[in-house]
Amino acid sequence: MSSKKHYIITSITLGLIGAASAGLIGLSNLLTRDRIARNEANKITSGITSIYGEDASVNKEEDISDHKYVNHIYYIYSGETLKGYAFKTSGSNMYGKISLILGFEIEGNLTPFVGLSIVVNEQTYATTLVDNYVTPVNNGQRDLDDVKCGATYGATLIKDMIYEAADVAQAKLTVNNNE
Amino acid sequence: MSREKGYTKKNFLKGLIAENPLFVSILGTCPALATTKSIEAALGMGLLFTVVLICSNILVSLLRKLISEEIRTPAYIVIIATFVTMVKMMTNAFLPELYSTLGVFISLIVVNCIVLGRAEAYASKNNVFDSLIDALGMGIGYTVALLIMAFFREVLGSGMITFGTIFTFIPKFSIPILKCVKDGVVIYDYSIQMFQNPAGAFIVFGLILAVIAFVKNRKAELKAYQEKQEKLKKAEAARLAAAAKANETSGGDK
Repeated sequence: MSSKKHYIITSITLGLIGAASAGLIGLSNLLTRDRIARNEANKITSGITSIYGEDASVNKEEDISDHKYVNHIYYIYSGETLKGYAFKTSGSNMYGKISLILGFEIEGNLTPFVGLSIVVNEQTYATTLVDNYVTPVNNGQRDLDDVKCGATYGATLIKDMIYEAADVAQAKLTVNNNE
Repeated sequence: MSREKGYTKKNFLKGLIAENPLFVSILGTCPALATTKSIEAALGMGLLFTVVLICSNILVSLLRKLISEEIRTPAYIVIIATFVTMVKMMTNAFLPELYSTLGVFISLIVVNCIVLGRAEAYASKNNVFDSLIDALGMGIGYTVALLIMAFFREVLGSGMITFGTIFTFIPKFSIPILKCVKDGVVIYDYSIQMFQNPAGAFIVFGLILAVIAFVKNRKAELKAYQEKQEKLKKAEAARLAAAAKANETSGGDK
């Protein structure tokens, strides 16, 4: 076989394999995307309930795009009263992606950080991070800045996400007070 | 083409015992150490791994005459990565608890040397049926190896075997072995938490390999001893025969 023909056949073979792969991945995405979105929505709802209790309801929500981690705000109401904000924050590092729901309560003053719930955790040391950092921080048994936990990079990422959400909550509170 | 009798059975069984990817070839150790904290996680990892291995082996075998030598490795990687991505999406959609437990280790199946190794060493040279059997044997062998590790780690590390936390379609229940909890009260607890950590995984893995090496060596020693005994018997028989012949000859002379 001439070398030109060989190169053409080789390129076509690789191209076809690539195209078939793209097609299969596209088909899988088509079959699973609704279900994945529904799973995530359920996790967000159960996360908000675990932070604010059964009587909490989301009356308003908005996307925000000018922050590094915080990308969505849920306004949590108890009846007619604004109870607090829940933030969906997503970030990633070399150990994988993590997405959290963070709750901040408002009782005259800002009570920073009332709880967090995990939506997506693709960190390599996922269980170490949850057992040694997320759960103790959530229960108030560990300081937010105490990130040395066996999954320090993940803990640092979560700490940064919480601080950013706290800043957004603070700004919201300031706007509310001025109004 | 003539086939050796019982080849299919031999092909299937080699992955389970003689060429077990984890305990004999020592391949795929990274996910084995990371995902064997619980039996359910190990089973999930094993199943996903087996699905990817079967699909990639079949496709590589089907395309073996079309894929030229120069593009073999990139083509195999693309095929394996495609199946891993599909499996990852399906797990995220239908088994979200398994997806979040295994995390990055599902994606890492792409670089698992067993999958690429079987594609290179076996599927690219054999027909679809044999490649399927090979993948099935290797996949089940790897899954069984993961389950053995997970059994020891879960029992020693958490003191009990728990089902229903990852596969949520089965009711949640625990079998207390070294730890017993009733109504939130710990009755007894002899578990050693270290076995849930990576260090514990290394120790369990090392001990299993030591046991396998011990059994192998004993078998080899036994075989050598039997061979030696047989040789001695033969030598004794030959000596007796020679003595008898000598006796006969001397008797005849008299």
